[in-house]
Order: sequence, then structure tokens, then C-alpha cells
Amino acid sequence: MPREPILEVESLIKDYGPVRALDGVSFAVSEGEMFGLLGPNGAGKTTLLSIISCLIRSTSGRATLFGKELSPNNRLIRQQIGIVPQESALYDDLSARENLSFFGKLYGMGGASLRKRIDDVLQAIGLADRATRRVGTFSGGMKRRLNLGVAIIHEPRLLLLDEPTTGVDPQSRNHLFDEIRRINQAGMAIIYTSHYVSEVESLCNRVAIMDHGRLIACDELDVLMQHLQSVIRFRVTPDPTPLVSRLVTRDDIVVRTTEDNAIEIECNEIKTTLIQVMTLLNELQLGLVSLETEEPSLEHVFLHLTGKALRD
Amino acid sequence: MIEKYRPLATPFFVIWTMAKKDLRVLLRDRRSVVILLAMPLVFIFVLGISLGEGFGQKPDDRLRISIVDLDVRYVPTDIKEKVSKNSKAKTAEAFPSGTWSQVMKDDLAQAAGIKLEIIPTREMAEQLVRDGQRAAVIVFGPEFSDRVYHCSFLADGLNPLFRDGVNLSILDAEIIRDPTQLAASSIIEQVIQVSALRVVIPWMIGTAFREVGDRMGGFVQSGITKMFPNYNFLAFTWTGLTKAEERKTPVVATNLDEVSTGLLKRGSYRYQVLVPSYTVMFSFFLALTCGGLFAAERRQGTLKRLAAAPLSRAQIILGKLFPCLLTAILQGTFLMTMGKLVFGMKWGNQPGWMFGVILSTAIAASGMAMLVATLARTETQVMIYGTMAVLMMAGISGCLMPRELMPEQMKEFSRITPHAWALDAYAQLLLNPVPNIMIVANACFMLLGFGVVFLGLAWTMLKLET
Repeated sequence: MPREPILEVESLIKDYGPVRALDGVSFAVSEGEMFGLLGPNGAGKTTLLSIISCLIRSTSGRATLFGKELSPNNRLIRQQIGIVPQESALYDDLSARENLSFFGKLYGMGGASLRKRIDDVLQAIGLADRATRRVGTFSGGMKRRLNLGVAIIHEPRLLLLDEPTTGVDPQSRNHLFDEIRRINQAGMAIIYTSHYVSEVESLCNRVAIMDHGRLIACDELDVLMQHLQSVIRFRVTPDPTPLVSRLVTRDDIVVRTTEDNAIEIECNEIKTTLIQVMTLLNELQLGLVSLETEEPSLEHVFLHLTGKALRD
Repeated sequence: MIEKYRPLATPFFVIWTMAKKDLRVLLRDRRSVVILLAMPLVFIFVLGISLGEGFGQKPDDRLRISIVDLDVRYVPTDIKEKVSKNSKAKTAEAFPSGTWSQVMKDDLAQAAGIKLEIIPTREMAEQLVRDGQRAAVIVFGPEFSDRVYHCSFLADGLNPLFRDGVNLSILDAEIIRDPTQLAASSIIEQVIQVSALRVVIPWMIGTAFREVGDRMGGFVQSGITKMFPNYNFLAFTWTGLTKAEERKTPVVATNLDEVSTGLLKRGSYRYQVLVPSYTVMFSFFLALTCGGLFAAERRQGTLKRLAAAPLSRAQIILGKLFPCLLTAILQGTFLMTMGKLVFGMKWGNQPGWMFGVILSTAIAASGMAMLVATLARTETQVMIYGTMAVLMMAGISGCLMPRELMPEQMKEFSRITPHAWALDAYAQLLLNPVPNIMIVANACFMLLGFGVVFLGLAWTMLKLET
């Protein structure tokens, strides 16, 4: 049964002078959903997250959380959101515990419940034994973990993660992923933005891809993959011509010959197509020189949709 | 649907939480503590021991007569009885009402072009003369009054008069001279001689003329009085004797210059100028510290977190302003207290108003700190532009030099800075024996105005979204 959307973004437009940073963005995020947001530099991701986190207002359109409009003036709704900014937004001169306590208090927490929550969060992010050390002495990975801890100290219903693993070693990254999965399973909706497509692919079940301020794709990961077909690339000897003329008659595949006389087949069902190609080779008495297959990934989908040209 | 959530933190709780955090960060940043508290003390200390005696004072062309007054008025028992029994004798025996050294000081103080300086002890006077800081010092001994009282033209009286004027040693008075400043010490000695003649001679004439009356009868006394109508031989003062008019203009009886010794020169006049100057200057250095903290919030990304938290803009600004204000008040109070304890500075006779000046200066400085924090985007900008602004304002206002030495036009112009108003208020409270409270109140009001304007600009221009 589909869960009720908690965040709804409708036709969001944001202009900075003559520059349109967001151009009619619409999507929704359900309760407990892990939603990935991908896009090249300058696509409008940070602007979108800034509007959702109530830091700036949109020029037009509407964004609501639990049906309430997201706006810098709506302090009650801001209490439901946690943000993990790109930079480790922490006070270096305060200890991990003091950082958590400070932000917890700003969100209306206090007393024994705050102390317990701080202990729980420190345990969850693996910093319980460093609780009283100054953050300035922490490694990059520890800071990133604490950055997540500060964002969830007040138990938000929607967590916005903006490149949370930048500059993090693999161990800390894995720890972060585990913690993000755990809090997501506990029911917190998450919007995860990253340059690392593989991170989004491994964490998120639904992904939106942005470019030039527009949402160019937004769907379940499996559905997005279907935008691209698998590729079988092979060489045969002596002459591939009879094989190619047999293959081009089929409607379910696309066949082309490359400059170096390799044959490329784009297909939906890679296993079935491969067996059929092998059968044909046998039939036509052709020898197989080389064979490689390429299944579609989110990165392919991303590059396919946004192009390979370098961005500023 | 939105679930029931915990209530928002109260505004006061939020402001106090933010203030506590900033104060904690400030305390842990030793550089800030050094800049705000230790550096002004070091400046005051270094300048205090290196500046000349006259620093902070208006150029004064008057001749300084330095005095050590050890005189104790001694009234013999028979005279006390005589005074209590004989009402006619009262005038003569009861004169002067204080010590004779006070009569000398009053006479000197009324002389044009002379200022008096009281030195507390003979040892200090000897040290000052030895150090060449004073050319000559007159010391009135404990028997000065008694000796003057016994001066008389009669055979059984003391005769202090000799070829050079008054023999001071007979009167238990002495001039300590610096042999390397002969010309200056001679001038001082001549001034003292003239004054001594003006004091001793009318007294001797008065007592002698009274004796004439007592021994030869009132007829002779009145005959002589008629013969010399321009003089009153019964008077005990020069003014009375010569029937001159009393000086109408008020005379500051003792213009006390601070005398200080030791490396620190505790209690020296210069600290009355240096301590408030550097207190004012460094209170505005707060702009750098607090501005730096704000810029650091931007750099670290914590400002974004604050902006995203359920806080109002007013709560964030006041949460940043409050620790600034508290630090400025503590800093001002600390420096003024250290000025008193370490440098022997005097708080004047209106110390309550001094706290008013500290408070209003703190408000102006905090407002400026918020403005710097708003305008400067990075810590480097805070350091460069903030330092430039703070030093320039300190220079214009007269924090780096006594305002008294500034040309009048420049002094007027300097009032575009809050520093100048604070310094004017401190000058009234710490340098003026009778402070003009209207000037102090006006300065406090102007400082509050500066604070409000700075804060208003910061409030309008501050962009929380980064």
C-alpha cells in the first residue's frame, strides 16, 4: 500500500535576478522514503534544498510538509526538518556533546530527555567515547558523523542530506550509510543529494535527476534503469555481414557495426538475446573473437539524461 | 498530517543558549581574552612607564610651587584660656583659623601665574628633587605655625627677618633644591620669600601695634592710625594691612598634581587619561572578536544551521548581540577596576555615572560589532576592515592621544565617532574635580544613539541565508 506523501513540491520556480535556478520542479516524498536527488553542478539541487529547509523563499510554486507551507516564517514546520549541510557545520571549540546539546536546546529540547537523546545519538554515530573532546581535534570522518548527529538530535520527520560523505574515508562512509539506513527504517523520510551516483544507487529506492533547474527524471530506480538498454558487444570471424543482416530484421533489438568491425546490440533482455546470438553464430559457422556485455546503471542513466559535456 | 511536536523554545531561552555558547567559545579562545583584557593593560602599562610627566595635561605656563606640609597648629594653654575668657582677644589669638602654612598656601594660590602642588611626604619630595623632576620644594615643618605665632618685633619674640627677607629656618621651613636647576629653584625661592614676607610682616605689625595700644594707650594707637590712613596696622594679613580689595575670583587652593614613584608610577595623572582611552579603544576591538565569531559561523556553515532551526531572525541577532554586550560590560568594568588597583587611577566622585558610561559604550561597541559582522563576509575581511575602522576611529577620537591636545575643530569633527563621546564623558568623571553631569548624560545618550543606529543597520542588512 503506497504511503502518504509528506513533502509535496509543486511547480517550484526560483529566480536569482535574470537567472532561473529552478524551473517548475514538482515531486513528492513519502513518509519513511529514501529519496535521491542527482544533478550536475549548477543543476539547482542546493537551491531546491534551501527552499525545502526554509532558508529561502521560492519565486513561485509551492512546497508543503505535512500540508503546511514551507516558509522561513513557519517555525513550527522548521522543527520537523533536519539538515546535513555539505560542510561540517559544527563548533570546533565545543565538544561533541556540547554541539549536540546546543542544537537540541534550540529545537526546544532540554533536561533529562535531551541528555538521553544525546547519549543515544553519540552511541549511534560511534562517538560516545569522544563525547567530551573538542570537535576541532576530530578527523574529517568523525566530523561528518557528528554532522549527521546534530541534524537528527531533535528527531526530525524529514532529513535533508547534502553531499554528506564529502572527504570521508571508506570506513566512516560505511558507518554513515548504516546509520542513514537505520534512521530511515525507523520512519524518517530522507532526501539524499550526492555527486556519487553509486551512493544514491545503493541507498535510495526513488531518484530524481535535475539539470538546468528542471527535474528531468523522477522515478523508482528500476524504472529509471529501463530508460537504457543493455549492450552486447562482440567480434566474429571471418565475415560478420550475414549475421548482421539476420539480426537487423528483429524489432526488439538495435544493431550497429562499429568502425573497428565490432557488432553492438542494444537489447532489453540480455540473457535471452545472448543465447539467440550464440545460436546464430553456430548456425552461420562463425567464430567468436571477443565478447563483452554492459548492463545499464544509474550513472549511465544520469549521463544519458544530462549529457557528458563538462559543467562549470 | 503533522504530528504533535514539542513546543518551540522560549525566546529568552534561545537567546541565553546562544549567548552561553558564544561566551564559552570566547573563553576558550585565548587570543580573544588576550586582545580584550590583557592587551589594553599591556598598552597602559608600557605607555604609563614611558610617557612623560605631563602626558594628558594641558600645557600649563604657570609656575609650580611644590609643598610638603607637615605643619601642626599648636596653641599654648595660656592662649586658649585667654581666648575663652577675653572676647576682645579672640580676634588676635584665634588668628589664623587653620595652620600658618595654610595662610602661606592661600597667599601663594592667590598669586597670579602660580599653581600649587602638594606632595604628601618629605621623602617623596627629596626623591623628586633628586630625580630632577622638581627644581625646589618648600617643606613646612611641624612647628611652622608655632614659630610664626611667636614672631615679633619685640625683644622676647622671634625675629625671622634678615637681609634676604625671611629666614625660613627660624620658622621651621626649608627649601629643598636641585643643585642642577639653580635658575628655576632661585625663582621658586624668591616667590616663597615674597609670600613669607606678605604673611609674616602683617602679623608682626599687627601684634606689635596691639602691644602699642596695650602699653601706651589707645590714644597713641589712634594717632598713628590717623597718621597712616592708607594702612590698617591692626590687620594680620597683607590685604588687610594695605587695605586692598580681597581677590574676588575663586582660587583653587591646592592644585594637586599627582606625584608618583616606582616603575608603575601608580596614581600618576597619566593613568586618568590612559586607562579610559584604552578602555574605550579596546571596547571597540570587540567588533573584531564578535565579528570574527559571526564570520566563523558563516565559514563553518553553522549560520545555515541556525537559520534553518526554528528561530526567528530577532532571536538570532539578539542571541549574537547579548554575549557581545555582556563581554563589553565585563571588559569595561575589568579595565576600570584594574586601572584603580594596578595603576592607582582615581574614579572621581561620581563612580555611579562611570558605570553608566561603561554600559552605554558597551552598547555602542556591541552595535558596531554586529554591523561589522553583517558587512564582513569572512574572518579575513573582519580582521582587515574591522582593524582599519577601529584604529581609524580611535585615532580620530583621541584614544591614541589626549583629546585636550587636539585642535578645537578636530575635537568637534571627532564627535562623529562614539569613542569621542565616551572619552568626553570619562574626562568629566575622571579629570574634572566637579564633573558636569549634563555632559556625561549627553555623552551616554549619544553612545546609546550610536548603538541603536549601528544595530538598526545590522538588523536591516544582515543576510542569514548564505
